[in-house]
Amino acid sequence: MTLVGEQNARLLDVKGLRVLFFTGAGVVKAVDGIDYGLQCGETLGLVGESGSGKTISSLALLRLIPRPGKIMAGEILFGSEDLILKTEAEMTAIRGKKIAMIFQNPAYSLNPIYSIGDQLGEILMWHEKLSRRQADEQVVELLGLVGITDPGGRLKQFPHELSGGMKQRVCVARALLCNPSLVLADEPTTNLDVTIQAQILDMLMELKDQFNMSMILVTHDMGVVARMADRITVMYAGRICETADARTLFNAPLHPYTAALLETMPRVDQSYSEKSKKRLTVIPGRIPNLIAPPSGCRFHPRCNEADETCSRIMPESIKIKEGHTVSCLKRSPSAGDS
Amino acid sequence: MKNASEGTPKTNLKQEAQKPGARKFGMLMLGWQRFKRNKTGLFGLTLVSIVFFFAICGPFIAPYHPNDQSAMLEFRSKSPPSLKNLLGTDRMGYDVASRVIYGAPTALVVGVGSMLVAAVIGIMLGGISGYVGGMADELLMRFTEFFLVIPVFIVILVMVRIFGIVVVGSVLEKIPYLNLSTIIVILGVFGWPPIARIARAEFLRLKEMEFVEAARCIGAGSVSIIFRHILPNALPSLVVIIALGIGGSILMEAMISFLGFGDPKAISWGQLLYFNYEFLKIAPWASIAPGIAIFITVLGFNLLADGLTDAFNPRLKE
Repeated sequence: MTLVGEQNARLLDVKGLRVLFFTGAGVVKAVDGIDYGLQCGETLGLVGESGSGKTISSLALLRLIPRPGKIMAGEILFGSEDLILKTEAEMTAIRGKKIAMIFQNPAYSLNPIYSIGDQLGEILMWHEKLSRRQADEQVVELLGLVGITDPGGRLKQFPHELSGGMKQRVCVARALLCNPSLVLADEPTTNLDVTIQAQILDMLMELKDQFNMSMILVTHDMGVVARMADRITVMYAGRICETADARTLFNAPLHPYTAALLETMPRVDQSYSEKSKKRLTVIPGRIPNLIAPPSGCRFHPRCNEADETCSRIMPESIKIKEGHTVSCLKRSPSAGDS
Repeated sequence: MKNASEGTPKTNLKQEAQKPGARKFGMLMLGWQRFKRNKTGLFGLTLVSIVFFFAICGPFIAPYHPNDQSAMLEFRSKSPPSLKNLLGTDRMGYDVASRVIYGAPTALVVGVGSMLVAAVIGIMLGGISGYVGGMADELLMRFTEFFLVIPVFIVILVMVRIFGIVVVGSVLEKIPYLNLSTIIVILGVFGWPPIARIARAEFLRLKEMEFVEAARCIGAGSVSIIFRHILPNALPSLVVIIALGIGGSILMEAMISFLGFGDPKAISWGQLLYFNYEFLKIAPWASIAPGIAIFITVLGFNLLADGLTDAFNPRLKE
């Protein structure tokens, strides 16, 4: 894997990605011209409310947009190749081998009728053309790595015999089987207990370094990205608001939406009791209807800094400094203040 | 009951899982554990097993050859059940017990054969309909509904008769049991719509499941998705409707034969009724015995289907 070896090499660059859903009620602009990317070995957090298009923009990398959705425009440069131009057969060879995915709900993402060994071994037998025995050996090794006790015995067990946390470990093992260069984790811990969440996240971090992978972490949980991500991209209503490294984003968010999102997050170092008069803030309004999104900046109806120009002009993404971009009219250098 | 249902299957399953052969049948084993506790289902299975036993061992246990009319020569036709003829003899001197036993394989071949044909057509069309969706789904389902509104029984009678006439004098006539095969194929060709509907519903449900999406993300192609991930998960529901269909087909064939449209060379229960119903008052045993055989077989398959529903879709009944 030449891709993985070099540090600071660009692994993925998504440019102008546009995904539309052609529903009976109209065309839903689920992802409307977004750019994001990451370097080898990096973890990118893709953050946003439900329906902001974060899952769709990660599924687009695998070209698995559910119907009636379609990728209408954009480039997905993975290494040096544009995934948009690949044939379906070529994509099948990439899915699972070079880009793998971990799903939100471990209970449903394993096929109930096959044993763990069968499901995981199958992948190696396809992608790596291993024999049954070699595949089994590798599966056992990986199950051990993801912290499953007695991996040899688990091979013959069925998904319903495992607990939720165990299943998610199996799913992680499945994603890592072919040593992919990029792992997409779609809210990997949302359906788990808090204690198990922490274990799974730690394990993911560790394995990511060990396997020299990059990861895109899709989540709405700011706590999870704070812990995991090197860089964070904030999405709102199918567009990107802000991209920055995690520290900058948390300490000095520029986009009003990012700032508002951080405000809604409970903090340990703050008291929310009656006396302190401090309350968790709420972003007023709802995520807009993406069939007819607001004109101009998508966030302007809910933004407390918005003025008349915001409803007319769609903000371009502006580079504030290296690795920090924001799309807000109020933050453009010409606007002066920031 | 509740505790037992949670405790036993797991432990048994683990023991089973040690055997290499039991590896793939996790869900089937669980289903069997649930099925075992279902008395109706077990009763159905018993009845079906008995019929299968007679069908397979018939030639060894039947007291007479099915075409043995010797009782007639001894002036013992229409004689009531006795030690010599356990279920009596009919008006042509056949031993009723032997004829009924020799009717079992016919019934099963018709039932299973026609449902195999129906299952292949039904799963294919229903599967395509559910998996592809859109326009194909719309067209195939309208086609299926068209088949559902046809008065199947009359069409079958007409087709069997027409085919029987067309064939005369051609090479096809030499095929043994041609008439019976025709009935099997026609029953299958008209019996697929319910299977197609279930298959479509299951494919629709399963293709949206996360494990199917997960399989796709791992790089599974459509063929593997359909045959390895969707179809095996759809089988439990399909098996239920197929088991019901077998009972239905056997009944259908009995009706066709009873009306005299059956295969004259094959011994079938409907045909026995057809031969003997006119003598119902003089030799009732000759009509009652095949009637009971039909009853037991059809009941067996229906109860078996019922038990399978409980075993594979336990939530349905609670």
